[in-house]
Amino acid sequence: MLSLHTFLLFFLSLSGLLHAKSSSGDSVLVVLEPARQADFSIFFDGLKEQGYELTFRGPKDEKPIVAEHDVPAFSHIIILASESKNFAKDITPQSLVELMSGGTNLLMALSEKQTPLSSLASEFSLILPPPGTPLVSFFPERKDPLSMIPIDAPVDSLILSPKMNPVWFSGVPHALGSNPLLVPILHAPSDSFAADTDSNADALVDAAEKGGEGLWAGSQLSVATGFQALGGARATWLGGVDMLSDKFAKKSKAGNKQFARDVAAWTFQESRVLRIDSTTHHLVNGTTPLEQYTINDQIVYTAQISHYNAKTSKWEPYSGITDMQLEFTMLDPHVRTALLPVAGSPGTYSVTFRAPDRHGVFKFVINHKRKGWTHLFSSTTVPVVPPRHDGYPRFLSAAWPYYAGAISTSVGFFVFSAAWLAGESRESKKAKKTQ
Amino acid sequence: MLHAKSSLHSPLPAAATIKLDTASFELLTSPTRDWSASIQLTALDPRRRCNPCKEFSPSWNAVAKAWSKTSKQHRDTHFFATLDFDDGQAVFQQLGLASAPVVYAYPAAEGSRSTGKTAPSTYDFSHGFEAGPLAQHLSRHTPIPIPYTAPFDWARWTTTAAGVLANRWTWAVVSILTSLVMTSGYMFTRIRNSPFMGGDGSWIAGGFQNQYGQEVQVISLVYGTLGFAFIMLTLVIPYQSSSQRQRFQVYLWTAVIAMVYSILVVLFKAKNRGYPFRLLL
Amino acid sequence: MPQAIPLPSDLSPATVANTASLLRIIALSLISGAAIASRLFAVINFESIIHEFDPWFNYRATRVLASKGFYEFWNWFDPTAWYPLGRVVGGTVYPGLMATSGVIYYGLRALNLPVDIRNICVLLAPGFSALTAWATYMFTKEMKDESAGLLAAAFIGIVPGYISRSVAGSYDNEAIAIFLLMFTFFCWIKALKLGSALFGTVAAVFYFYMVAAWGGYVFITNMIPLHALVLILMGRFTSRLYVAYSSWYVIGTLASMQVPFVGFQPVSTSEHMAALGVFGLLQIVAFTQLVRSHVSSKQFQDILFVALVSAGVLGVAAFVGLTYKGTIAPWTGRFYSLWDTGYAKKYIPIIASVSEHQPTAWPSFFMDLQFLIFLFPAGVIMCFHQLRDEHVFVIIYAVMASYFAGVMVRLMLTLTPVVCVAAAVAFSSLLDTYLDAHEPEPEASATDSAASVDTGKKPKKEKAATGSALADLVAAATPTKKGDAPKFKGVYGTDTRFMIVMNAIAMLSFFVFHCTWATANAYSSPSVVLASQNQDGSQHIIDDFREAYYWLRQNTPETAVVMSWWDYGYQIAGMADRPTLVDNNTWNNTHIATVGKAMSSSEEVAYPILRKHDVDYVLVIFGGLLGYSGDDINKFLWMVRIAQGVWPEEIQEPNYFTPQGEYRVDSMASNAMKNSLMYKMSYYRFSELFGGGQAVDRVRNQQLPKEGPTLDVLDEAYTTENWIVRIYQVRKEDLLGRDLKSANAFAKGKKRKRSKPASRRRALSAAAST
Repeated sequence: MLSLHTFLLFFLSLSGLLHAKSSSGDSVLVVLEPARQADFSIFFDGLKEQGYELTFRGPKDEKPIVAEHDVPAFSHIIILASESKNFAKDITPQSLVELMSGGTNLLMALSEKQTPLSSLASEFSLILPPPGTPLVSFFPERKDPLSMIPIDAPVDSLILSPKMNPVWFSGVPHALGSNPLLVPILHAPSDSFAADTDSNADALVDAAEKGGEGLWAGSQLSVATGFQALGGARATWLGGVDMLSDKFAKKSKAGNKQFARDVAAWTFQESRVLRIDSTTHHLVNGTTPLEQYTINDQIVYTAQISHYNAKTSKWEPYSGITDMQLEFTMLDPHVRTALLPVAGSPGTYSVTFRAPDRHGVFKFVINHKRKGWTHLFSSTTVPVVPPRHDGYPRFLSAAWPYYAGAISTSVGFFVFSAAWLAGESRESKKAKKTQ
Repeated sequence: MLHAKSSLHSPLPAAATIKLDTASFELLTSPTRDWSASIQLTALDPRRRCNPCKEFSPSWNAVAKAWSKTSKQHRDTHFFATLDFDDGQAVFQQLGLASAPVVYAYPAAEGSRSTGKTAPSTYDFSHGFEAGPLAQHLSRHTPIPIPYTAPFDWARWTTTAAGVLANRWTWAVVSILTSLVMTSGYMFTRIRNSPFMGGDGSWIAGGFQNQYGQEVQVISLVYGTLGFAFIMLTLVIPYQSSSQRQRFQVYLWTAVIAMVYSILVVLFKAKNRGYPFRLLL
Repeated sequence: MPQAIPLPSDLSPATVANTASLLRIIALSLISGAAIASRLFAVINFESIIHEFDPWFNYRATRVLASKGFYEFWNWFDPTAWYPLGRVVGGTVYPGLMATSGVIYYGLRALNLPVDIRNICVLLAPGFSALTAWATYMFTKEMKDESAGLLAAAFIGIVPGYISRSVAGSYDNEAIAIFLLMFTFFCWIKALKLGSALFGTVAAVFYFYMVAAWGGYVFITNMIPLHALVLILMGRFTSRLYVAYSSWYVIGTLASMQVPFVGFQPVSTSEHMAALGVFGLLQIVAFTQLVRSHVSSKQFQDILFVALVSAGVLGVAAFVGLTYKGTIAPWTGRFYSLWDTGYAKKYIPIIASVSEHQPTAWPSFFMDLQFLIFLFPAGVIMCFHQLRDEHVFVIIYAVMASYFAGVMVRLMLTLTPVVCVAAAVAFSSLLDTYLDAHEPEPEASATDSAASVDTGKKPKKEKAATGSALADLVAAATPTKKGDAPKFKGVYGTDTRFMIVMNAIAMLSFFVFHCTWATANAYSSPSVVLASQNQDGSQHIIDDFREAYYWLRQNTPETAVVMSWWDYGYQIAGMADRPTLVDNNTWNNTHIATVGKAMSSSEEVAYPILRKHDVDYVLVIFGGLLGYSGDDINKFLWMVRIAQGVWPEEIQEPNYFTPQGEYRVDSMASNAMKNSLMYKMSYYRFSELFGGGQAVDRVRNQQLPKEGPTLDVLDEAYTTENWIVRIYQVRKEDLLGRDLKSANAFAKGKKRKRSKPASRRRALSAAAST
């Protein structure tokens, strides 16, 4: 057992050294027109440096296939062939969703044209402007075309590094639906709007006449959006492929390289990845988990949570969550309490609570969903039963009237029987005497 | 008992019967009266020890009260009055009465109701002291018949009812009827609101778990007949003292059982088509 | 005295008595054998399998008892039943049946006879039916004599009304309860006759066993007090009655309170108040008797009378007051619905929905009791004829039970014993009369004996009655008082005797044929396995239920929660060993209504319910392909009704009918019907089976539309060979957080309509306008 353990540790550390970085695997499929590979060399080299194995494939190539026997062949897929209207048979919106349910992370870029990817985007609650309307902005004043826009990174971003240079963007914006799984990465500048590049002034005038109605504009639009799917896989949508291109990365004071790095790190599950290692429960003065608890028991629930450290490629205990809750649920939560980190023992979260005065099949539920973070979900079923027949107090002080009644009746009956028997024998004796 | 109950009707309202003395008696029976009157001459004082008087008085009061309930126009043409011996000894002497009670009916001597007769008629106590015959008799002298109805005779009914209730055969009939009706599916028709008979005029409902109201009657009659035949065979026929008549009865009831039972099986077959057995029919 | 048939005269009375008792023993053994044998049709036709629904739970509980011992059984909390509420089995079950099987199991093991617990469970009911025959013999013996007892034992041994609940495999509480019922009644009669506290105690002990075994014990709890009350009202109060009742009530009540499921009910619910009241009344009456025997003063007795009446009034007032306050629970719905027959349908559809709770039509009576049903009134008349204390009991029992049996099919079971007893009394009286070899004296002497009767009224009657059959009835009916010379009765001739005896034998034989036929055809089907006839007449077994349950057992995780209508809960738990939402222990109306709501709502409404209850699989019974009429679509209206009882706003029964008020499943079906989960699950892909032809539902004889229903929240997981059981898997929430309908549409490649971002301006103006 020990040897197996050490072997596993060795294997894990080995894999960490040899490869990088992602918590979910290193194989990456890049779907891209072969002619354009060189345009993204900085991005791809960065990935390779990280230790990812890149495999390239043209959008219409049949090989290598993305999934064999419903098992995804790659851990991550990057689709930069955003202008292609036709993909090979195995890359369809449906198959990509299927791959995501198998745990594959997706990094995709949109284009102005109507492509299969733009119809897939709407499944992710992204709402795209009409075709052929890229984001344009007149500010700041610059030599570049209107549709090439430097965007300041947000100060308190969940995903991007702090203090980043502006990110150059060129492409389509999208509005966000009400889906809570969306993680906005980069919003459009507030003075930008989506318009046909040739007639953008007309569009503004038209919109102004309508009181701004129908104008795709403002910082509510997003240009890069992440998506944390329920199964754990992540997807990121970029408004245009150019964000990752060498051209933009080489611009002076451009944050694009760092942006690409951060986005890939988040999408490929390097950063902000948590997991529940184990959960356990026991009585306050016990140690082993019971198969069932009795009502009103004091129960201790403990969860062990780790955080993936991409630098060391190791899972490390993580005590940084302060807003996690534990629910003790039967149909509805009967107990909902804060599950807080235990000081002095990293990664351990524990809480003690009283089981409700209600029997039934309960579940310990941790359901921690925060934007940008992996979802934490754990459910452990345990029945809560009424006390055993001998689990009740044997003597109740409140029952003394009944005890007194029973005892006095017994004594009375005994005395009466004795007296009656004695009396009768005397009577018969008397009768004998008189005879 | 009866009188005790009837006495509940007194004390009478003032209008029901007029208490007379010698003077008012004379007034009431004046020869020029255009009214009629019924007068009871009695002796109710306990010292007089007139038991018939006491027995009769409640009947009189009941009839008088009944008259007092008629409409005013009739009520004022005929009066009920009572003259006690202690109040009008003179009248008794004058009329030459030695015994009480006596009832006189004075017809109207004048006016529209006068019949020409003025002499009073006497009520004949051979009918007894009951109020019914009295009312009937006096009705001949009143403008309209006296609306007298006999009060409900609780005592006799109670005794009869108690006798009926205490009789085991009453209970036997009730029990047997109950169980016959229940085992014929009466509750089914009650709960399911089955019609009495089918819409197409059929009286027997198709299907094992279904029935019409009429089937309850037929089936309980069938069960009752069969049960009765057994009772006859067991309890009655052995007491038959003539051997010929007994033999005839045995054969008769055996035939009844065989026939009715066969009919029952036929009925059951109609409900349960798969039933493989049959008897005579 | 003349004899119709010569009898051997050289037999000593001892020889006759010994032979008679030997014959009785042989007859009883044969009756037991017949009773057991006739209940084995089910095992021979099918296999040694537990039948129906409730027995599956009993069997499962017995297995727990046999494997873990009694205390673990007592404390057993079943987390798989009524998920997620769970069921405290030890406290919500009548443990008598399981305990009996457990004792037999351990007893046989102690004798080194390792018998499978399943076989004990399967064969328990036939075994106890033999005991029931014996108990009925003892009971009837107290009513009349041994010959009536033997007849009653034979009747109850094979009568279909009792076989219906006690065939092999019908492992239900009733299997042992009828024996306990009859034996308790026997002990009560014996105690009453002898004034014996011992028999009163034995009655109490068996009453306790009955309480532990069946909820129908309330019948005893009310029958015995009613008998005692009637005897008091008839002026038949004796110290024997006092001793018998007091010993039975005190010990029986204290003992019954030891059963956890019963607990304090005997002192706190209306069903038990009659027994308590009669107990109090008996004490008062006994006290009055005592006082009367010591005090002569009439006025004191008057005062006593007033005191007693006021005490009675106070007692009733206290009862009403406590009921009103809630200390004494009012009648439970099940009992109340016996009196007010419309009550259940209006207020507790769950009770009215149970098929056993339907009223009984007359063919059922004849099917279950055959010729006993018309001998029964004759027997009751015989009881009136003699009217000893014990006959009063039979009469009360007869009237009450025939009412109850009329109201509810399942209570036929309580009627059956008394019908057997009364019919046996009547039939043996008939045979006694016509098998008696003595002939009466010729006519002259018969009238002589009649004339010699010397009491005041009777000679008059009897003289007038000579030759009149009806008057004979009156004479026969008038009980002969002590000192009267009874009129000799008898039958003349051998041909009459022959006639009656042949008739009797014919009726008995017919009865035997009828019972055999009824048992073999109607009552021996396990209902888990169905049988049908092939065209060549051979038997074809339809085993879809077990196929589906074993599929669940083999292919789903052990914690997978299965939702089905409550009928199948026990079977799923017993055969598939999976948690169920609701089962046949229908104690929680709301939970059942929740399932009813999920089944009768549209998918969008049902899905949150399914997810909230962690449902993984949904199981429906569909008979449309095979013509199996007991399927869920036919039970569907009950689901709707029960759900309506809890959510009258959301579920309305009329919505499931066509505007013409018809219950249809074809293209004319109402929208609520077509959108309901139950409809969709039943007919999903049904029309594909007909390969383009017209799909026909063979139960309802309706043609289904070519376009079948679609399902978004469920996936078809399994459908059995004959489509009787269909199992669906509940989909998980969509990966991308979409609703399942659009996710399904996307997966099928349908294009989604372009959506526009919600206009903030418009939203603002809309908010301002409202």
